[in-house]
Amino acid sequence: MGYALSIKGLAKRYDDGTLALDGLDLEVPAGEFFGLLGPNGAGKTTLINAICNLIRVTEGEILVFGRPASSLEARRSVGLAEQDPNLDRFLSVREALLYHGGYYGLTRRRSAERAEEMIDVFDLRAKADVRAPKLSGGMRRRLLLARALLHEPGLVILDEPTAGVDIELRRELWRYIRRLHSRGTTILLTTHYLEEAEVLCEEIALIAGGEIVARSTPEGLKRQFGASTLEDVYLKAVHEREREAVA
Amino acid sequence: MSRGDSGTAAGSSVRPEPWRGLMWLAARECLRVSKLWTQTMLAPVVSSLLFILVFGLSLGTRIREVSGFEYEVFIVPGLIAMAMAQAAYSNNSSSIFQARSDRYIDDVLAAPMRPWQMNLGLTVGGAFRATLIGVALGALAIPLTGAPVERPLALAAAAVLLVTLFGALGVVVGIYAETFDHHTFINNIVILPLTFVGGVFYSVEILPSPWEQLSHANPLFYVVNAVRYGFLGVSDVSVWLSFAVTAAIAAAVVAWSQYLFTTGRRLKP
Repeated sequence: MGYALSIKGLAKRYDDGTLALDGLDLEVPAGEFFGLLGPNGAGKTTLINAICNLIRVTEGEILVFGRPASSLEARRSVGLAEQDPNLDRFLSVREALLYHGGYYGLTRRRSAERAEEMIDVFDLRAKADVRAPKLSGGMRRRLLLARALLHEPGLVILDEPTAGVDIELRRELWRYIRRLHSRGTTILLTTHYLEEAEVLCEEIALIAGGEIVARSTPEGLKRQFGASTLEDVYLKAVHEREREAVA
Repeated sequence: MSRGDSGTAAGSSVRPEPWRGLMWLAARECLRVSKLWTQTMLAPVVSSLLFILVFGLSLGTRIREVSGFEYEVFIVPGLIAMAMAQAAYSNNSSSIFQARSDRYIDDVLAAPMRPWQMNLGLTVGGAFRATLIGVALGALAIPLTGAPVERPLALAAAAVLLVTLFGALGVVVGIYAETFDHHTFINNIVILPLTFVGGVFYSVEILPSPWEQLSHANPLFYVVNAVRYGFLGVSDVSVWLSFAVTAAIAAAVVAWSQYLFTTGRRLKP
């Protein structure tokens, strides 16, 4: 089976001495809807940033579709929607999409076509010529997702995409992401909404203290931890890790 | 949300086109300059033009010739060099600082581009802005003062070195700056004073010792003289020395900015 993501011995120590990732190993099969759950500070965002070349990795290897994550081919195949909206303040919605396509090597024509498609898909037409700072929180979230998907990446990384989003938009987003996954796109999702992870993800990994502490299907995790809900699994796994760390 | 999307898993097999990324990044930086044209273009052109009018045309009649030229003619090259240097520097430092501060630089850092392409793409905005300001000031000041362009090729070479040096310096400061004050500090406390004492308004030959000798330790003195040679065909020092010093400093600053992009230091935690 091919892997969208293959990580071996990944470590990240920040300049202030914080060890965010501690020899983490992870493989995500191509085409899977994969969830990454863990408490704040567990290392989820650091892991995502390492995959996307947004931090300097201390140690370890990351392969994206079999290629080093730092290679141009690997970068081209990843789409990232970050946790906090990070939109270019000088560009309108349409321009933000158009230029993103350009950064990822699309021709002007193809980038413009994709930008218009994404504007329609994410209902951004009414705000297409509005600059990012003037968009509402929900519209910014839509634009972030549209931007992540514009260059048709094989691996889409969604870092808490529904944080602070109303229920209606959240359900719309999930519907769309499911549709995308059904077409073969690998999805790596982090979320604090455990019930959503349970419904959407084929496999879930629990991360704590910079390590993967458990990994299975939602049902497999419940069996493994003797729990009836994913929330109980999460609490048991995380608390076990904390006890181990203290001991 | 509508159902019309054609999202696929094809991304893993699509060939990256880093040159295209570079072109789009450069275009984005130029678009920023044009969108903010009142700040990026109009203000520096008007202020430099006021220098020429006030110092040159008003006071010029009371000052004897400098290096064989009327005063209003003599100050034109230095003022254009100063405006271009400040534009190249402040454009890049503010653009990169804002991109880091709002974190939309992540969209560039994650993109399939090589480090030197990111560096070059982010430097182009300052070069674009400085060139437009230089051309606009030249077009206004030359008819006003009658300043000649004696060595057009030398002028072009000096302008390239100038925008490279100060554009790269802007990139470096934009990467290191923790607050907006840091970027203005370098401009107001380093670039502006050094340009002023680098012979924009006078020939350093008229300075008493040791000020004349000390002026030769000012790197901006060589930049101003390289540009002045292009316009007037005269320089306070050997024109080759002016070009060599300017090129050496430009190379050092470009190497510094490239080091930051290659290693990710300061750009990536």
